Amino acid sequence: MGLVDEVKMVSHARDWRGRSRTPRSAERWAAPKERREFPTAWARTTPARLARAGIQRGLLGPLVWSQVSPRVYGADRLDRVDGPVVIVANHSSHLDTPLLLRSLPPRLAQHVAVGAAADYFFDARWRATVSALMFNAFPVERLGNRRIKSIAPELLAEGWNLLLFPEATRSPDGWMHPFRLGTAQLCCNAGVPAVPVAIRGAYAAMPRGRNWPRPGRPRIAIRFGPPLVPETGETAADFSVRMLDAVTQLWAEEELGWWGSSRAAGTLMPPTGPAGAEWRRQWEATRPLPDAGARGRIWRP
Amino acid sequence: MSRPGFVLEVDERTPPVLIHRGEGFGVERFPLGTHVVYPPDSLPAVRDIDAAIALALQHPHGTDPLRELLTPSTRLTVVIDDICTPAPSMRAPDIRQRVVEAVLEIAAEQQVDDVELVAANGLQRRMTAAELRHLVGERVYGSFTPDRLHNHDAEDRANLVGIGATDAGHDVEINRRVAESDLVVHVSVVTSAIAGNCRSLAARIASYATVRDENAYATAHPGSDDAPAADRLGVVLERQVPIFVVEATLDHGDSARQLAFLGKREWEWSLRDQAAYVGVKRLNDLGPGRVRHRIWQHAQASYGVTAVCAGRPAEVRARTLETLHRQQLTEVDGQSDVVVFGLPSASASSVNSIMNPILAMSLGLGVYFNSFRGRPLLRPGGALILYHPMQQQFHPVHHPSYIDFFEEVLAETTDPATIASKYQDQFAGDEWYRHLYRNSYAFHGAHPFLMWYLGARALAHAGDIICVGADRPTASRLGFRTASTLADALEMASGKVGRSPSIAYLHGAPNTIADVR
Repeated sequence: MGLVDEVKMVSHARDWRGRSRTPRSAERWAAPKERREFPTAWARTTPARLARAGIQRGLLGPLVWSQVSPRVYGADRLDRVDGPVVIVANHSSHLDTPLLLRSLPPRLAQHVAVGAAADYFFDARWRATVSALMFNAFPVERLGNRRIKSIAPELLAEGWNLLLFPEATRSPDGWMHPFRLGTAQLCCNAGVPAVPVAIRGAYAAMPRGRNWPRPGRPRIAIRFGPPLVPETGETAADFSVRMLDAVTQLWAEEELGWWGSSRAAGTLMPPTGPAGAEWRRQWEATRPLPDAGARGRIWRP
Repeated sequence: MSRPGFVLEVDERTPPVLIHRGEGFGVERFPLGTHVVYPPDSLPAVRDIDAAIALALQHPHGTDPLRELLTPSTRLTVVIDDICTPAPSMRAPDIRQRVVEAVLEIAAEQQVDDVELVAANGLQRRMTAAELRHLVGERVYGSFTPDRLHNHDAEDRANLVGIGATDAGHDVEINRRVAESDLVVHVSVVTSAIAGNCRSLAARIASYATVRDENAYATAHPGSDDAPAADRLGVVLERQVPIFVVEATLDHGDSARQLAFLGKREWEWSLRDQAAYVGVKRLNDLGPGRVRHRIWQHAQASYGVTAVCAGRPAEVRARTLETLHRQQLTEVDGQSDVVVFGLPSASASSVNSIMNPILAMSLGLGVYFNSFRGRPLLRPGGALILYHPMQQQFHPVHHPSYIDFFEEVLAETTDPATIASKYQDQFAGDEWYRHLYRNSYAFHGAHPFLMWYLGARALAHAGDIICVGADRPTASRLGFRTASTLADALEMASGKVGRSPSIAYLHGAPNTIADVR
């Protein structure tokens, strides 16, 4: 048997990564996945930062901006923020991270580490390498079964800003889901402010299951809110509610405007989508954002 | 926590399954629905082996601690199993070395002067000095050679003595030193639940006449619960000689890192494992035959020791079997029309030698076929498919009688009964073979007969035996048919088992025992 035939034979029933699905009769006896930690410290060295800045500014940013039409609101609210802070945002698309990193003021963006799902972004070495290099990603345990010790507190102590998505995963339907307490706990423990961000339109532009934005440069709105500082004695649960309210208010700015959503603060409900059939929730979640120019004005009566 | 053994049913997700083919290996795509019997993963190994040995000697089962059995006047004989187990050999230090050193340490503390070591070869060849040194270690070897460390000689009339008769009325002759000892410590490694302890000890230190009379080899082996002739030898032995057994059990063993894929389940192979498989296989296939042979025959593995047990033979045996069953037993639901075995290049009688066709036959039909509990994996009249090149190669020093057995005996008949009645005594009584067995490093003249008898049960049980990838004239001489591929073999067997037979493949044998329900 020649070498080519040999390779073909051994790769039969395996995918391009050489992985085979566990035969059905063996599923019960599948070996427990080995806990594998991927070092990311190298991604925070100066050469990696320079490479990342080049990739983000020269390649990724222009590419994303060529495929969608992002509008950034409230970046001026970060003028006096000098870090470290935890940037918290709703999460519904793989576009969220590159959009946010490009939307942040450069002095903050150059010093951001992104929390990424350990079970997804760090399950293969190549993916972990790409994530760490391009986004300065570090693994975040979201399933609670691998017991990876989070390096988030150390990163904050070193002065890094963190970008975290408290929903822990991309929204499956485009609407917001409850915040987990980990992010609020981190802010309270470290005493660092949280910067709320609402991203609208990313789900419609590139929902789960797509690996490239929809054609037509769909519009996306990114709104930064003022930093929230944990108060002395404030519990993580209370702070998490404040973060959720802040993101909800920013979310509502799209329809109500800044003044309208400010006046409605405290009465707004998190955008969990309309009750009813699943298709209707999807339908609403993928509704394109109206053109900013068409709305005409920020202030509304 | 090691995973238990299980039966894989080949489906469309199943990648090709690893199979040995003598001094080589490959992967095979079995038909959908084939049952592949996997052994349990290796049990956790003992962390501190020396402490485990000390504990076993201090707290033996069914007898006093070894220290209390020894006095300055004790005539002590330490009997060591030869290098036939495990296969491949254990990377130094061999567990037997550690046990022997611990036993001798106690003997020295008790000021025992009369100590000898006997290697229980049975009718196998004598071990070379290098093999003995590997087995017992430099310190023991240096202290006991040349006068107090011997290979057993089943033809040395001056050093064989009768110790009684079996229930069948046959005289039992064993090694004189063992028979005349106040205490015999038997140190062994048990790698398979289908081999015994005192059973095999009796056959291995007996005279050829005793082995012949009791046909001990044929019955001391697996699937022999119906005719425990070697047990009869063991009963006589234990009645006459106080025996203190120390048995160690091993895990499946680890090969070199590059060969780690050999011990993994195929769907768990990483890309590196697959690359290693292709690379090693290509090197192995393309490399010079002599180099390949040298690598395979002299390969050693690192084994973990899963348990050390000491005491009276019967009680130790029960505990050893329990450990081995946990390590090797896999429950299988029913017999199959076709059973496939991939035969490697290592067997008990081919260590540092050549795996000749007769040894391949005895490995497949004797050891692998008998790797069952309850009833054979193959249904009566089913087809047995063996993967082995079966090249007509013999080691002229180790296996001289095998050459004549192949050329003269098998040319006439392959029927075990006819062979036994017509040829065995002729070979056993041949002075040249006897001389080579006693003075060179040859197996006993009757050894190929005993190896052939191991497969007798399978020969009678199987309706068809087909060798995939075998040398056609050689396989034909053994009475087997040959096929180029598995598909061809199944086609050839269809006359006996039909077009849609149930197929089973015993993966990882002989460390897998099918518990057929």
